[in-house]
Amino acid sequence: MNTPADQLPAGIEACDCLTPLGDAAATATALLAGVRALQLTPVLGRDGGDLVPLALLGPMDETQPPRWVPHLRRLAAGIPAGRWGTSREPVIVTSSNFGVGSLYAFTRDHDTRHLAHGTPYASVELLQREFGWGEHVHVFSHACVTAHLGLAHAARLLHGGVADRVLVFSFDFVSPFVAGGFHSLKILNGGMPAPFAVRETGSIGLGDGAAWAVLSRAGAPFRLAAHAMHNEMFHATANQPDGRGFTACAAAIAAAAAGRRVWLKGHGTGTLDAGRLEAEILARQFPGAPLTGWKGSLGHTLGSCGLVELAITLTALRGGRIPGTVGSAAPTFTDTVALEPFARTGFDAAILTSNAFGGAHAAMLLTHD
Amino acid sequence: MIERYLHQVRVELPPRNETTAGARARLAEKFPRTAVRRMTHLGLLMGSALEHLALGPEDALVYASSYSETRALEDFLLSFPAASPLLFQTSIHPGGVQQVLIGRQQPVARLWPHAGRARLVEQALLSALLEPAERVVLVGGEEAGTWMLEHGMASSRSFAFALGLTRTATGAAGRLTLNRGPVSEEACPTLESFTQALTGRHALQWLGAGGTWKIEWYQAAASVAGVQP
Repeated sequence: MNTPADQLPAGIEACDCLTPLGDAAATATALLAGVRALQLTPVLGRDGGDLVPLALLGPMDETQPPRWVPHLRRLAAGIPAGRWGTSREPVIVTSSNFGVGSLYAFTRDHDTRHLAHGTPYASVELLQREFGWGEHVHVFSHACVTAHLGLAHAARLLHGGVADRVLVFSFDFVSPFVAGGFHSLKILNGGMPAPFAVRETGSIGLGDGAAWAVLSRAGAPFRLAAHAMHNEMFHATANQPDGRGFTACAAAIAAAAAGRRVWLKGHGTGTLDAGRLEAEILARQFPGAPLTGWKGSLGHTLGSCGLVELAITLTALRGGRIPGTVGSAAPTFTDTVALEPFARTGFDAAILTSNAFGGAHAAMLLTHD
Repeated sequence: MIERYLHQVRVELPPRNETTAGARARLAEKFPRTAVRRMTHLGLLMGSALEHLALGPEDALVYASSYSETRALEDFLLSFPAASPLLFQTSIHPGGVQQVLIGRQQPVARLWPHAGRARLVEQALLSALLEPAERVVLVGGEEAGTWMLEHGMASSRSFAFALGLTRTATGAAGRLTLNRGPVSEEACPTLESFTQALTGRHALQWLGAGGTWKIEWYQAAASVAGVQP
């Protein structure tokens, strides 16, 4: 039996993101035009190494203050006013890497100033000081499904009567630490990612990404209606070969979406086994629903991807057209993969999925007027 | 008021000088031989704390660690420019508990890995209270660092705890409550002081998250099975 999805609707008061293509509006426009932000870049930055596809907001070598701070200042300027970080308006910060690039920088140049924000809590405390947030900042780290956890937890805080509004803030910036790690696993290689495409060799790209959303129980044109999760615990990096983890999560969110006309934003990093399982199982659970994914352009923004891609989705829905799977090409694992943009007409909901190490799966149901 | 009853409280609080190799030797019989070689100190302690907590796929897991896999992180950083794929995987939060559950091949529906500091305990407990699952397992801990500790970026000691939280009072060792009330704040117990309180069955009370938190015990530590102080 699958664990049912959380069905605790939360209205999206506001939401935006920052990618190398710009804010959510600029990113959605660029994706609709098929722009690819990924560029072949030395895997260890100024320390060199193989060329791999990275989508960066600037050189990834660490700076003082950390290179992500000015970008996050720019992004955070759009957050609606609130008593953020109080018990009634808490903040949830989600990331996979936080400031770990600073630790890598310290091991290179031994400048102890890097250490001030190398741990997850220290990087979040830097954000608290930057943005004047109070002490009630929840910090989640669950690799590439982290943003989903933050959004799902926000809904629980709202429906549990613990909070009135919640700011979910997510960021992940590429560093030699993470690029070197994925390169060591050989999935970050010299090839550009082609999500859901049938190819000889799989490859991913990595990208800088950050986003935020303000959620409340008040009515809103866009609502996160349900969240589903599943953790396989089969292998540190691989999924169950029969796809049962994908199925558990997809079936739970499909039950919550019953009666809806949905399209799908998949995880779609460009790996072959996971991409095939995801495409096939989503096609089985949602027959005929178009499947798209944007990591072929933006790269994988890791712990922030769920929220970054939600912000792009909202903008695309407002504009009436959904970007296709940029960077991919036929043949694809299923005939439901949308290689070109498509109209939102005829749909009243979208399902957004992410997957992570440990066989972690997450999906959310976005409904709209 | 929101409440849950505390069951199966287990703590691993080894001597400060215990090494990973020492923990591996001490706890080897609790793990498959093939798995124990790769487990970290934190993973070993968490695995031991979780030993008699048989998780089901419908249970939820809440994880709390400010630093998580410190030693793997330290060693991974030193492995550059030939980055180690194994250390990379192991260094990723929440590797401490994932390596235990992968060893058991134990899926769970929901895993909530917290990584904060100042109100880490409170936030992890809040996650547990808001979980609809019949049983929630809260597991937490740290492992002592080496060069990162010298810079104040790691725990000074290794420890782990696990406790099961349910809505069933029968047989409970204690009770956790959150009473909505004053919005004033007090310092929240640290992860280590929380672990010490579990070990000694010390009552806890503080203000935070818009209410009063209280942990009370029905049984003294000596009469509760499964304590490993």
